[in-house]
Amino acid sequence: MSQQFSFLRDTRHLQAVALGLVVLGGGLIAARSHLIPKSFGEHGPYRGDALREIAAQQPVLTSDTSCLKCHDSVHEERAESPHKDVACLHCHGNGHEHMAQAEKAAGDPSVTIEKAKPWDGDFFTKLDLFITKDRATCLSCHEKVVGMPADFRSIDVKSHLADQGAENIDSPDVCFECHTGHSPGI
Amino acid sequence: MNKSHDSAGASGCGSRPATSGLNILNQGTPCSGGGSCGGVSCGGEQRSKADSRRQFLSRATSMVFGSFALTLLPMESPETAAETPLPAPLNGGAVPAPPAASAAKPVLYGFLVDTEKCIGSGKCLSACRTENHVPDGYSRTWVERYVHFKDGTVQVDLVPETGYHESKLPIVDAALVDKAYFVPKLCNQCVDAPCNQVCPVHASFTSPEGVELIDTDHCIGCGYCVQACPYGMRYINPETNSADKCTWCYHRITKNQEPACVEACPVGARVFGRLDDPESELSKRLGATRTQVLKEHLGTHPKLHYVGLSKEVV
Amino acid sequence: MHGPSFVYPNDVHVAWSIMIVLYPYITGLVAGAFVVSALYHVFHDHKLKPVARLALVTALCFCSCATVPLLLHLHHPERALNIMITPHQTSAMAGFGFIYSLYMLLLIVEVWLLYRPEIVEGAANAVGLKGFIFRILALGSRQITPGSQKADEWLIGVLAIIGIPAACVLHGYVGFLFGGVKANPWWSTALLPVIFLISAILSGIAALLLLYLVLCWAKKITPDADCVRSLCKYLWMSLVAAVSLELLELLHLAYEAGAEWDVLRELLTGRLAVSYGLIQVAIGSVIPFLLLPVAFRTERYAALRTFLGTVSGILILIQVFAMRWNVVIGGQMFSKSFRGFVYYNLTLDGREGLIAAIVVLTLPLLALFAASRLLPLIGDAEPHRPPEDLCKSMPLDVCTSHQ
Repeated sequence: MSQQFSFLRDTRHLQAVALGLVVLGGGLIAARSHLIPKSFGEHGPYRGDALREIAAQQPVLTSDTSCLKCHDSVHEERAESPHKDVACLHCHGNGHEHMAQAEKAAGDPSVTIEKAKPWDGDFFTKLDLFITKDRATCLSCHEKVVGMPADFRSIDVKSHLADQGAENIDSPDVCFECHTGHSPGI
Repeated sequence: MNKSHDSAGASGCGSRPATSGLNILNQGTPCSGGGSCGGVSCGGEQRSKADSRRQFLSRATSMVFGSFALTLLPMESPETAAETPLPAPLNGGAVPAPPAASAAKPVLYGFLVDTEKCIGSGKCLSACRTENHVPDGYSRTWVERYVHFKDGTVQVDLVPETGYHESKLPIVDAALVDKAYFVPKLCNQCVDAPCNQVCPVHASFTSPEGVELIDTDHCIGCGYCVQACPYGMRYINPETNSADKCTWCYHRITKNQEPACVEACPVGARVFGRLDDPESELSKRLGATRTQVLKEHLGTHPKLHYVGLSKEVV
Repeated sequence: MHGPSFVYPNDVHVAWSIMIVLYPYITGLVAGAFVVSALYHVFHDHKLKPVARLALVTALCFCSCATVPLLLHLHHPERALNIMITPHQTSAMAGFGFIYSLYMLLLIVEVWLLYRPEIVEGAANAVGLKGFIFRILALGSRQITPGSQKADEWLIGVLAIIGIPAACVLHGYVGFLFGGVKANPWWSTALLPVIFLISAILSGIAALLLLYLVLCWAKKITPDADCVRSLCKYLWMSLVAAVSLELLELLHLAYEAGAEWDVLRELLTGRLAVSYGLIQVAIGSVIPFLLLPVAFRTERYAALRTFLGTVSGILILIQVFAMRWNVVIGGQMFSKSFRGFVYYNLTLDGREGLIAAIVVLTLPLLALFAASRLLPLIGDAEPHRPPEDLCKSMPLDVCTSHQ
């Protein structure tokens, strides 16, 4: 053995590696603290902004309460009706434009509120405001299907129309010969 | 099934404002009533149980990661974070604010599905797709139909989104059927949500009201939560490339509106409400009825309760 | 199952693709190769000397490519670092970034120490690109002293010891990632991490055996008989352990026959019949189980041994791949309704397609090839004996001190 072990000399390469790792590690930790989203941890271990962003999304479907603000007569009409929980939007659309017009018209009598259009037959319709007298609307709920509760008023269309002696059994608005939408009766 | 609902029956509601974080500050006024929400951590027995479990998990995992993780990573723990209160929810909707009785109590939402009332109209399905811009081929909510035949077999199928009328589905012969019923499905909003547990980046998070939400701007799209949800509620949204699922319409309920599916249900089969308010319809129904949850054996403690399930329902 | 099938509407999309099959496959090779190197460096099985360095370099090459399939899979690969920026303590996946980085670091340092004599020599003598690379790798340290060698040796031993549990964590944790999903009865078992680990060791040994035989063939060297026999022996032992555990898990599921067994049985006899029954068990397990004892008991017939070792190695690599496939893809082939099955469509193109998968599997081999151009992988495996000319050129009595 020509030389004795010298820590300083014989581990110089390891010291370099260790130093490099310490610098690297420190850099990563420092970088991490900058990369954590600002609102993280505001309300909990997540981005507080995310909570606000989700909460800030605008509702698309219109609640009945918005409609009934003006159309209070319908509220009375439906009070005792089996349809009192049926949302307005199923038969009339969301009416966003309609409500905007109504608001304007309240301050400015010259603004006219557009009339509702007839339903185009599409359950995903783009119409803002419509009126349906189409049996498809009624039957989307009331046509008898295996699985419905026994006490739900479901019908077999053909036999129901025959039983009730309906006149135009092929006409789309045949249901309205006997029933109204808001208070369909028995 | 009618699939023609791209910007789907948004029904001329026009453009939906971009979801901006600042937006909320400019809309409506803080609700004066049941406005104050408390922390995540309290609110009933299940809640505290869940918390102690989380604490245990945090500790266990910390031990696994070792002191390395503890010293190098100042990770925010749910316990401390829970103490930060959230600004009051906004009363942007027209529905009156819930009673102010709960000033000290945190808001905690719950859900009840009454399968004995569901008629399978599919109104909730189209409503959800429209409200939440759910891409075709994915669902945040669906309705299953269970048909028990007299020969002992059980057939399960999905209710079409526009109902059975004109759906062209084969008609089940009622004469062969013992019993049949519809089971609406939506996010169970588990107290011990496995999807939240597995999210590696805190992109899945629990709102102060106990609603499981997804930060689509932070999600890495690994799909682990999709695997972890026992109810098949989650999917990777092909438009955002992030995980997605039912939020109980968080953007509506924080404006005191009902979730879209509840709003759309014509027969009251879906009941949404506050668990922390004993006067809410939900609390009353839950108190008066015998209810079940789905896959109870997995210990997820759903806040979605069912009336009228049969053992075949999964 | 009674009645027609029913699949939850979101379950028709298989969330985890072939990339998630490749990821445990590759990390398994890493863990397995490391264990072989540890058998030499820690447990001093000198018969494995010829592959000791190859094992570590292989581990490093595969490890350096282990994140590629994950990045290809992530729907937001640009956010991948979130896993280390805001890690969620309760997520099995959140540990990946840290465990992987530390393990990779350990491998780099150990390989660097192992090849320091070559690096220092190369830095002094090599020219061109090679010399440039060596001079960078030398990190400014151009001297090897008996003292520094002792220090390196000690550190290599320490790293190898730390590396064993680290390799187990790296791979056992992958098993836990699946085993901890209670929603999925095909995954949810405490055995899964162990199965993954043992089968990782299995695949690592098989890969090393094949690589060693290929390198010998390429360099026209006769494979070391003891080394090959020893590898075959370890291969057979881990095959027995891995297959026992795999079948034990299956037996347990079938014997307990819980509520979900119906769907699993239908899965195994239907969609997984070929990939599980035929490939994983019959071809991948039974044939090597029979061939390997012949290979490690033959003392004389070197060609036969090489042939049987090669065949078994290939079959076992297929077995392990099939096992990963059957776990990852198999676990998504049924809906969580437990009433219906789902198809996985492996496309040819695309980020998660077959071509991308083949490229991912080729990358570590390319890395290994590049490494072989730079450093000796097999043959003289004595880690700290510098080449002859270096001894002469150095002022210190390195060679004698080491003998």
